[in-house]
Amino acid sequence: MIVIYQEKGVLKLNFNDLKKGDIIYYSGELIVMRDAAHKRIKEFLESNKELPLNFKDKIIFYAGPSKKPDFQVIGAVGPTTSKRMDSFLEMMYQLDISATIGKGERSDFVNSLNKKYKKVYFVSPSGTAASLSQKVLNYETIAFEDLGTESIQRLVVKNFPLYVMIDSNGK
Amino acid sequence: MKEKIIDILSEELMKANVFICKDVEKEIAKYNGVFSNELKENTLISKKKGLPLCQDTGIVEFFVFFPKNINIDFDFNQALNESVIRTYEKNPFRYSTVKEPLFERKNMKNNSPSIIHYFFHDEKYIEIRFLIKGGGSENLSILNMFNPSVDSNDIKKFIIEHIKNNGVRGCPPLNVGIGIGGTSDKALILSKLALTEEFNFRNPDKNYAQLETELIKELNNLNIGFQALGEGISVYNVHIKEYSTHIATLPLAISIDCYLSRKGRVKIEL
Repeated sequence: MIVIYQEKGVLKLNFNDLKKGDIIYYSGELIVMRDAAHKRIKEFLESNKELPLNFKDKIIFYAGPSKKPDFQVIGAVGPTTSKRMDSFLEMMYQLDISATIGKGERSDFVNSLNKKYKKVYFVSPSGTAASLSQKVLNYETIAFEDLGTESIQRLVVKNFPLYVMIDSNGK
Repeated sequence: MKEKIIDILSEELMKANVFICKDVEKEIAKYNGVFSNELKENTLISKKKGLPLCQDTGIVEFFVFFPKNINIDFDFNQALNESVIRTYEKNPFRYSTVKEPLFERKNMKNNSPSIIHYFFHDEKYIEIRFLIKGGGSENLSILNMFNPSVDSNDIKKFIIEHIKNNGVRGCPPLNVGIGIGGTSDKALILSKLALTEEFNFRNPDKNYAQLETELIKELNNLNIGFQALGEGISVYNVHIKEYSTHIATLPLAISIDCYLSRKGRVKIEL
């Protein structure tokens, strides 16, 4: 279930209602995945290997956390540059993910991809990983453990700050 | 001596990752745009909990300045790498280095090796500067070999165009390091060394100092802003380092550092 709390107290349940520039505080599940895991998912698809998880409706968070200290559920975590994952984006949209989270602008073609597949691209505050790690309630590695910080990980977050950079109309 | 250097550097490397530097803290305090609360909260939480300010705790680059007549009776490279390994093993930082860049990309799991440049200076002490270099800003590095007949306006245009097109991915406000002259490799190293300078440092040559000031102004007119969301300043600073060059060449290198400006400088008296 996706529950989104929008700033001025307005509750929205559908990413497609969001417009560029909206700020939301998201609570729910995120799937952490970056360069190496995307590369491996592509190889899996090319060789018809079974994927380690069903990506339908998942929100992909481009990130790679720091080491976990004893006193909290995850180490410092924050967005990495999204543009490096642009070449994998259509592949992920075809797997029916619902949105991506990262930092920075993306290639021009991402706007039309978002419109075509009705998907959203968010940025979360970059370089604020100590603060963002406080919003994480739960954390586990779910696939490609050998990749360390680049493995596929599942987070449950509360009030995670997101800014709509490209909405589902490609704006 | 070796242990002393490792101890001092380990402490400084930790501080650079965990404690926000004063100059940056002032700029964050002035910023009131999108995500300003998160930026402020981040500096408090990292300080209180010993967490790194950013999950990308970087590859460490060292710039070591030796007195000209120095004798070193131990492996200096090893001492620098040891300080990195100690810091990154002890703290909740990220191991962000891979052993080999193309085929396996297997994580080193200790954040070594560091990138080390040695220089000589006229002082009697050893100075060690370092940068905690994140991958996002590092990917914006660029080298261009200009025709030697270009003027400072052409150089300025190139720098502005580069930051305009790429600055948003470097976690602004940025520190911009410019290396000009020398050979291609020299220009790149100078551009990195330029990033180690303090906020208020200006190039001692008045022409280059003026170019720095003009670039700071014009780059801020790009309105990239904090978090690349269009509010607040776009660059903290531009530092230029120049060097003699060949009659046929004019190398120009640009290196970028992110808004956290994680760096350090220690003096080791002999």
